[in-house]
Amino acid sequence: MKKLLSLFLLSQFCTLSSQVTNIIPTSTSIAQTSVADSHSWSAFNNPAMLGNLNQSELGFQLDNRCLLNELSTKSIQFAYSSELMNIGISYSYFGYSLYNEMIVGINLARNFSDKFSLGVQFNYFNSYFVASNTYKGAILPQIGLSVRFSPSFNIGFQTFNPLQTNIQAEYIVKRIPSVFSLGTEYFFAPEFVWRTQIDKEISSNYRFATGFDYQMLELIRIKLGFYGSDYLVPCLGLGFNSGRVKVDLNCELHPLLGLNTMVSLRYKFRK
Amino acid sequence: MSELKLKLILLFLLSFYTLKAQDAVSTAEQLIADIFEQYTAESEDVIDYETFYDELINFTENPININNSSREELEHLPFLSDNQIENILSYVYRFGSLKTIYELQLIDGLDMTDIRRMLPFISIGEGSGEKKKLYFQDLLKYGKNELYFRMDKGIETKEGYRFLPEDENIDETSSAAYLGNAVYNSLKYRFHYKDRVLFGITAEKDAGEQFWGTSNKGYDYYSAHVQLNDFGKFKTIVLGDFRANFGQGLVLRPEFGMGKSSYVLNVSPRNSGLKKYSSVDEYNFFRGGGVTFRLNEFNISAFYSNKMIDADTINGSFSSIYKTGLHRTTSDFDKKHTVNQQIVGGNITYTYSNFQLGFTAVHTLLDNKLEPEKSVYNYFYFSGIQQTTAGLHYRMRWQKLNLFGETAITGNGSMATLNGFSFSPVSKVSMVVLHRYFSPEYDTFYATAFSESSRINNETGFYMGVEIRPFSKWKFSAYADSYRFFWPKFGVDAPTLGTDYLLQVDFAFKRDVNMFWRFKSEEKPVNFTDAETTMPTIVSTRKSSLRYNLNYSFRNFSFKNVIEGNIYKKGDENISYGMTALQDLSYRFIDIPIKMDFRYQIFDAQNFENRFYTYEKDILYAFSIPMYYGLGSRYYLNFQYEINKNFSIWFKIAQTVYADDRETISSGNEEISGNRKTDVRCMLKWEF
Repeated sequence: MKKLLSLFLLSQFCTLSSQVTNIIPTSTSIAQTSVADSHSWSAFNNPAMLGNLNQSELGFQLDNRCLLNELSTKSIQFAYSSELMNIGISYSYFGYSLYNEMIVGINLARNFSDKFSLGVQFNYFNSYFVASNTYKGAILPQIGLSVRFSPSFNIGFQTFNPLQTNIQAEYIVKRIPSVFSLGTEYFFAPEFVWRTQIDKEISSNYRFATGFDYQMLELIRIKLGFYGSDYLVPCLGLGFNSGRVKVDLNCELHPLLGLNTMVSLRYKFRK
Repeated sequence: MSELKLKLILLFLLSFYTLKAQDAVSTAEQLIADIFEQYTAESEDVIDYETFYDELINFTENPININNSSREELEHLPFLSDNQIENILSYVYRFGSLKTIYELQLIDGLDMTDIRRMLPFISIGEGSGEKKKLYFQDLLKYGKNELYFRMDKGIETKEGYRFLPEDENIDETSSAAYLGNAVYNSLKYRFHYKDRVLFGITAEKDAGEQFWGTSNKGYDYYSAHVQLNDFGKFKTIVLGDFRANFGQGLVLRPEFGMGKSSYVLNVSPRNSGLKKYSSVDEYNFFRGGGVTFRLNEFNISAFYSNKMIDADTINGSFSSIYKTGLHRTTSDFDKKHTVNQQIVGGNITYTYSNFQLGFTAVHTLLDNKLEPEKSVYNYFYFSGIQQTTAGLHYRMRWQKLNLFGETAITGNGSMATLNGFSFSPVSKVSMVVLHRYFSPEYDTFYATAFSESSRINNETGFYMGVEIRPFSKWKFSAYADSYRFFWPKFGVDAPTLGTDYLLQVDFAFKRDVNMFWRFKSEEKPVNFTDAETTMPTIVSTRKSSLRYNLNYSFRNFSFKNVIEGNIYKKGDENISYGMTALQDLSYRFIDIPIKMDFRYQIFDAQNFENRFYTYEKDILYAFSIPMYYGLGSRYYLNFQYEINKNFSIWFKIAQTVYADDRETISSGNEEISGNRKTDVRCMLKWEF
C-alpha cells in the first residue's frame, strides 16, 4: 500500500512540482537558492561553487518528500581542495526497488582571483526500468559560473543537462531534467545574506525562489524563504556549525503534498 | 447682506480660532486615517474605524511617555512593529531616559517616517509613571465632555422608501418596505478624565429604521459604558458595553485584528484586555461588566456579558446570527433581539521581563439552539446552545527572535493554533513568519485572528513578510502568503488553495513629498458554473493590481494623486481589466479654522471582479472605502469648520455618476433609479 501511495505521489510530483528533478538533491541553501550561494557547494547544484572551497570536505545528505522513505534521495559528496583547482565527486540515489535512479558526477572547479569561479561536472545518470528489468544510462554535462561584482554581491548561473539528453528504454523514453538557473546573492551584513533564484526546467514552468540566511549565533543559523511556480512553497531551515562539522535541516511545506525535509551533514578536513 | 453683517461674521470667525491646537489634532487625525487606510487598503470588510480612532486620538491628549512606557503601552501605536517596540524598550533600558525627541533617530529600525508618525502620540518626560490618586472634584473640574450629533442621507430615493408610512397606500406589514425614513442619525455623549475615567452613551438609527412609529419608538440602538483605569489594585473596571481581547484572538477578539496589509510586519494583534465599547457595530461587543486586577506579575481578568442578539428563531432554534444591526423592515424586526446570549470568561496573564504566558477561557450560553441549515460548506459549523473555548497564548524574546502564538481548543476537541516569530537580523531588515492552522471543526463566536477568511476555521497557511530599508528614504515591504482550505467554503465547493503576494516600495523624497508603488497579486479558486456540468468545477482566478500613490503639499495646500490598474483572469476566460485615477486637493485656510478636501475620481472596471476599493476622507469617526465598478466618476467635498474651541462641524457631499448604460444602481430595497448616487453627511461636535 505504501509503495502504491509512493508511486501515486511520485506521479503527482512530476506534475505538481515545478521541476522534474527528484534525482538532483536539494541544496543546503534555503528554498533551493544554491546557484549563487558562495558559502557552500551542494552536489549536482552549481558546480562553480566548488571552486570557492578552501578546505576539503565530506558530506552526506538525505532528502525526504511527504515523509515517505520511498520518495527519498540519498547523496554523498566529497570535495578535494588544492591550489590548482578543486575536485569533487558526488553520488545520489533516488527511489526504491521497483523504481530507482542514480547519478554520479565528477566536478572540476576553480576560483579565479575571487573575481569569478568556473566549474564543470560530468555526470553519469542511470535508471532502472522494471518493464524490461534493465538499467539504462547516459552521460550529462553540467556547467556553472559565479561572478562576484562586489564584496557583497554575487551572481551565479548553472545548467544541468543542457543538451537535453534522454534515455531510450525498450518501451519508453526516460526524460532527464534539463535545468537552467540564474541567481543572486547579496550580503546585507556578513551574518545576513539574501538570495534569489530563477530556474527553468525545459518542459516545466519557471520557478522563482528567494531565501534569507541569518547567522544568529555562532552556532546557529536561521534560514527562511519560499519558492513559487505552480504553488507557493514556504521554506524554513536551521543550520548548526560546530568546529569542522556543519549540519543543515531544511523544511518545505508544500500546500498540497505536505512536508519535505532535508538534512545534511558536512565535515571539513584540516587544510 | 449688509457690509456690517459681513464684518461681524468675519470678526466672529476670527475671534474664536485656535489654529495651533487645530494643527496638532488635525495632523494626528490625518495620520490616524492614513495608518488605517494602509491597514484596510482594498479591504472588503466593514471595519470599525471609530474604536481605532478613539484609541489613538486619546494619546494626543495623554501621550505615551517613552521613558517609562511598557511594551503594552507602545503596542497601542499600530504602526510600530514588534521589533521596533523591542528596540525602543531596549534603548531606554541600556542608555537611560531619552533627553529629546531627536534621540529617537538613534534607535535601530526607526526611520524619519516612523518618528513623524510617533510624534503626536508620545512624549519625552521624566517621572515614575505612577498614577496619581483620583479626586472626585478633579473629575468635575478637569473632565472633558463631548457631544456628537451626526446625520447622513442619500439624496436619491431608494426602492425601499417608496412605501413610506405616511403613504395612504402603504402596507406597513409588507416585509419589503423600509419602515423608517432615509436619514441615518447618531447621538453620542462622551466624558473622560485623562485616560482614567471614561463614560459614554451612544444612540443610533440606521437609514431606513423607524424612529417613532408603531414598530419602534426612539433610537434603534443604545449603548452605554463606564471604564475606570488604574483604580487601586484594579487595572481596569468596565461596566455596560465593552470588549475583551486576549492573545492572538483565537478565543476572544471581537474587534478588528491585524491582517494582511502593507504594514507587512504587523501580524500580531495589539491592545489586549478589557476596554469600553462606544461604537455602533451592533454585534461585536459584550454587555455586562468586567474587571482586570494586578497581582504581582499576574494580570487577572474576569467578565460577564448578557445581551440579546438577532436571529430568525423557529421552535426554539435558529440557523444563523444576523450581525448587520439593520432593522429596517418588518422581517428585520421579527429577528431583532430574539436570542439571549450569555458569556462568561476570563484570562490570566503572567508577564516577566521578555516572557509572557496567558490562559483565556470563555463559555457561551444561548437560550435558543443554534442549528445551521446543513449544507456542505457549513457542515462543521458550531451547533448547540453552549460552547466552551479555551486557549493558551505566549510571547517571548530569545536572542533577536520575538516568538508569539496561541493554541485554542473548543468543547468538541477541535483545535486552532497560530504561531510565529519576527526578527531584525540587521537594522535595515525586519522579517516575520507566521503559521496558522484552524481545524474545520473549530468554530467559536468572537474569534478574530490573522487569516485569509473572516471566519476562524477550516484554514491553514504560512505567511512571510519582510521590510527592507536599503537606502535612506526608501522602504521595500513585501509579503507572501500561501493558504489552504481543507473543506469547501461558501461559494467554493471543494477544498482549495490560494496565494497572496504584495510588494510595496515607499519613497519619502522630502518631508512634504512622498510616494509609493504597490503591487498586489492574489490567486484563489472559485466555482465554475456551466450549464453543461452538473458536478461542481473549480477554476483558478488571479487578480493583480498596481497602484501609484503620490502625496505632496505646498503651503496650505496638500495634494494626493493615485493611479491604479488591475487585471483579472478566471480559468480560460479572457482577461478583464480595471483602471482608476484620482486627484485629491486639501486646503487649510490660514486665518479661519476651516479645512476642505476635494476629490475627483474616474474609474473604468469592466467587471465586478475588477472593482476598486478606495479610501476617502470623511467626517469625524467615519471612514469610507466605497466600492466601484463599471464606468463612471466620483467626486466629493469634505468640509471641517472649528467654529470655536467648543463647537466643530463637518459636512460631506459625495456623488457617483455612472457613464455606462446602467439605468439603476444597486438592487432590492437599495435600488436607485438613474445613474447617480449622492450622499450627504454632517456632524456637529460640542466640547464642554
